[in-house]
Amino acid sequence: MPSWPANTKYIGQSTLRVDAEAKVTGRARYSSDIQADDWLYGMILRSKWPAAKISAINLDKARQIPGIKAAITVRDGERTIRFYGEELAAVAGTTKQACLDALRAIEVTAQPLPFVVREDDAKKDDAPKVWEGVANVSTGRVREQGSNVDQAFTECAAVIEGFYTTPVQIHNPMETHGNTVSWTDDGVTAWASTQGVSSVRDALAGALKLDHSQVRVLTEFMGGGFGAKLGGGVEGVLAARLSKEAKAPVRLMLTRFDNALAVGNRPSSFQKIKIGALADGTLHAFEMENYGTAGIGAGADAGGGGGGANIPAPYIYAVPNTRVKQSAVAVNAGSSRAFRAPGHPPASYGMESAMDDLAAKLGMDPLELRLKNDSNEIRQREYKLGAEKFGWKEKYRKPGSSPGVVKTGIGCAGANWPGGGPNRRTQGDAQINPDGTIEFRLGVQDIGTGTKTVIAVVAAEMLGLKPEQITVKVGDTNFPPGPASGGSTTCSSISPTVYDICDKALQQLQTQSGIADARGENWFAACKKLGVTPLVVHGQWQQGLSTSPAYGVQFAEVEVDTETGLVTVKKVLGVHDCGLIIDKLTTESQVNGGIIMGMGYALYEERVMDDLSGVVLNPNFETYKLPGIADVPEIEIILINMPERGVIGIGEPATVPTAAAIGNAVFNAIGVRVGSMPITPAKVLAALGKVPPSTVSKS
Amino acid sequence: MKAFEYATAHSTDSARELVADHGAYLAGGNDLLGLLKEYLVSADTLVNIKSLPNMDKIVRSEQKWTIGALVTIGEIERNAEMAKAFPGLHDAAMEIASPQIRNVATVGGNLAQHSRCWYFRHRDTVCLKKGGDLCYARNSENRYHSLFTGNDCISPVVSSLATTFAALDATAIVLCNGVETRMSMDDLYQKAWKEVAAHNSLNPGDLILRVRIPTTRSRSAYMQVSDKHAFDWALVSCAAAAEVVDGKLKSPRVALGSISPVPHQVQAANDFLDGKTLDDATASQAADMILAGATPREHNGYKVPMAHALIRRTLLKLKG
Repeated sequence: MPSWPANTKYIGQSTLRVDAEAKVTGRARYSSDIQADDWLYGMILRSKWPAAKISAINLDKARQIPGIKAAITVRDGERTIRFYGEELAAVAGTTKQACLDALRAIEVTAQPLPFVVREDDAKKDDAPKVWEGVANVSTGRVREQGSNVDQAFTECAAVIEGFYTTPVQIHNPMETHGNTVSWTDDGVTAWASTQGVSSVRDALAGALKLDHSQVRVLTEFMGGGFGAKLGGGVEGVLAARLSKEAKAPVRLMLTRFDNALAVGNRPSSFQKIKIGALADGTLHAFEMENYGTAGIGAGADAGGGGGGANIPAPYIYAVPNTRVKQSAVAVNAGSSRAFRAPGHPPASYGMESAMDDLAAKLGMDPLELRLKNDSNEIRQREYKLGAEKFGWKEKYRKPGSSPGVVKTGIGCAGANWPGGGPNRRTQGDAQINPDGTIEFRLGVQDIGTGTKTVIAVVAAEMLGLKPEQITVKVGDTNFPPGPASGGSTTCSSISPTVYDICDKALQQLQTQSGIADARGENWFAACKKLGVTPLVVHGQWQQGLSTSPAYGVQFAEVEVDTETGLVTVKKVLGVHDCGLIIDKLTTESQVNGGIIMGMGYALYEERVMDDLSGVVLNPNFETYKLPGIADVPEIEIILINMPERGVIGIGEPATVPTAAAIGNAVFNAIGVRVGSMPITPAKVLAALGKVPPSTVSKS
Repeated sequence: MKAFEYATAHSTDSARELVADHGAYLAGGNDLLGLLKEYLVSADTLVNIKSLPNMDKIVRSEQKWTIGALVTIGEIERNAEMAKAFPGLHDAAMEIASPQIRNVATVGGNLAQHSRCWYFRHRDTVCLKKGGDLCYARNSENRYHSLFTGNDCISPVVSSLATTFAALDATAIVLCNGVETRMSMDDLYQKAWKEVAAHNSLNPGDLILRVRIPTTRSRSAYMQVSDKHAFDWALVSCAAAAEVVDGKLKSPRVALGSISPVPHQVQAANDFLDGKTLDDATASQAADMILAGATPREHNGYKVPMAHALIRRTLLKLKG
């Protein structure tokens, strides 16, 4: 069984991203920067109706706009539209303005249909059906554990009931979705902003009815995906079809407006939780009824309603008597898609809020309640370490006992991420040249997490070279297959693969050069003995160097202005394990990013649907609010390095507990629960009972 | 956006002539370009007014400061003398948008900007303000909307400069049909109070030339609360200004933004404060008067306690 070296020079240390300079100087070419020869702009016409029967789409006038080279419909014939923003047609042209004019010239014959965009409205018996003949609400499964849950509640010393809701969070990577696609007689080349060059290749080949070998996908640099860029996308297929018709490469990058409607989101949740504990704090009974919407997502195949809205409950705790009922509600809105730790942030928010409410009822310190009930040894360690560093004991006050108008509060929450483990079929090549240069080629992609740097660090460690001496090429389906970057799997897939490539390279070099140890100072001498033919070695993922899952806890400190309702996060401390840390710097970046994203979820982000028109009301960063630099608190990170566990991904667990910790800190500060995220000033003032009722009826 | 002609004006007369009936003045462009790109307004000619002489100057005298309409928000923010004379104006400028936007956004543009109501700004809703027959906000998502209005549209004025200028009793000098006309902040927004389609009182072709601020109030303050800590619109904003003589307020004025189509001012509250020594109780009483008659809707009731707190805090800041 292979094992990681005990004493390391680069692994576990901080290495600057190998492409840092290219990125900060703008030399790095992101997917949206690609300018293929004679490329055209591509744009999509979207439905302005939330539900409609489309009987005809006439492209004639669009085609007559000067500069327009192609115009297509998404589908021929009659069709039903189920959400505002659904794709209808697409055009390609020589200028952006030509495309905009063409979109406005397309004539759509539509018969608007009744629609419903809010979960509670969609649940009503007389609500318009999102999918014909199928109930909006899925039947929902009841999962029961223990002898008698109702009886168990009567045995509890303290029981609380709470209603905790989380909004639909829109996917907003800094680089929008999109690609440049060139379709020639030789096949299709797609420069895609994607998390999975291989998955996009297969998806495009399938949709375009081409052989896999006829499609090549390239992703040199891309600006984030968070789960929303694993497939070919409507924009991929449309760009390809436009390119075929126009006989030119088509760049179809979505706008921020487009992204708000149709590239996926995190489902909402409406969690009614009842939880009880024995007098010593031991959790004894738990009941949850949850519903949420995945938009139109998976409605048909879920036998009614949308899928993907279920969350793990009672999350990280083992409660002997539990009853969980979950259902999904279909609404006329864009579908959900995997979103950084799918299911976990809402699960953490609901359950961890309930834990603090229960602790208050028990008169217990909520950290104590967690230590009492969380059986996971690593999280126990993280809580204790974090509490010490955070000064939990010194800072903790009973909920609502902070004096003054501006109150301070602290909170904590835990995370579990079952992913983070490897894709066992990951492969890669390295070419070692007689001059000692070495190039790694892996069909993985760097989604901004530092994948290229990880490859360079592992290779440098194994070969006794410096990271900057390693050339890394990724993001090309012509390279040996790598994993899609979802589920925090990339690092644990590629690190053992690079280990194996290096291991094989050293063996081969020994054989060919006669030098017993080709590492370090012997490297160049050994390579020289290759003569004129470079050495190419192929490696694959090896057992024993990576694992899962990952655990983490976070602590938050907030100030709440009880007169204005404004919440200011002062500090977040993240304590996370991810097994063997490859590069400390990029690992910390993942935690920083996860915490900031979690902050956005806690305080700012929310898709607002208008029930009168069915549109997304906030399809821009003006009103879809994201944390800015002024909102970001001091972030402290403690990484628990556990080389014995091997490599584990960190991207997802880092964002799981933030919102719950912040929500609990707000509760601790003001003594009342804001049970609905985002925790806006309006909701804080409402929770404090300061908001006068409306004096007008709707007109 | 639709195609347009582009022209640069070198005098206000030629600007007026070039803009004619269907043109628009272009200065910082922050609001105008967004409106054009979303097809919310159309203009056959954009008249670049950035070369108009003297409109980017700040001139001070004993009695008043005169700020040209082309002075940027960034210049106000960085002008140390002005920050001393009108600390409230400085603080208001600091809260506007982002540093990048402040560097190009002008005083005139800030005052003339259109509603930020998300129904008005949405490309696929035809609300009352855009000529439709329904105010969506009244019936649905009105968290950012007005507590006061004189018409069926409930979108509020969001210019923080207007709020502050109102408290400082500043006057806008506007070129109306070739005639320089003095308008108080009340005058400048009165039409938006009464008419659903109006964003302010300016008619097509009217051009804000400068703003005159009297130096009669040496104390001023501005505060706002937003969902976020920077680069976000005010949920409620408040400006106050006064002279303080022997610890007593003289000629105090309070104005609020984001709760009415006009900078919200209540003369009775100003009169009540005049000659008073500021303390919590007085400030609180004034706040009650200013917010009397507020009409909270389904989602904007929080603005009442928020405004109350802001009025008290802003007033108390005048004590120095």
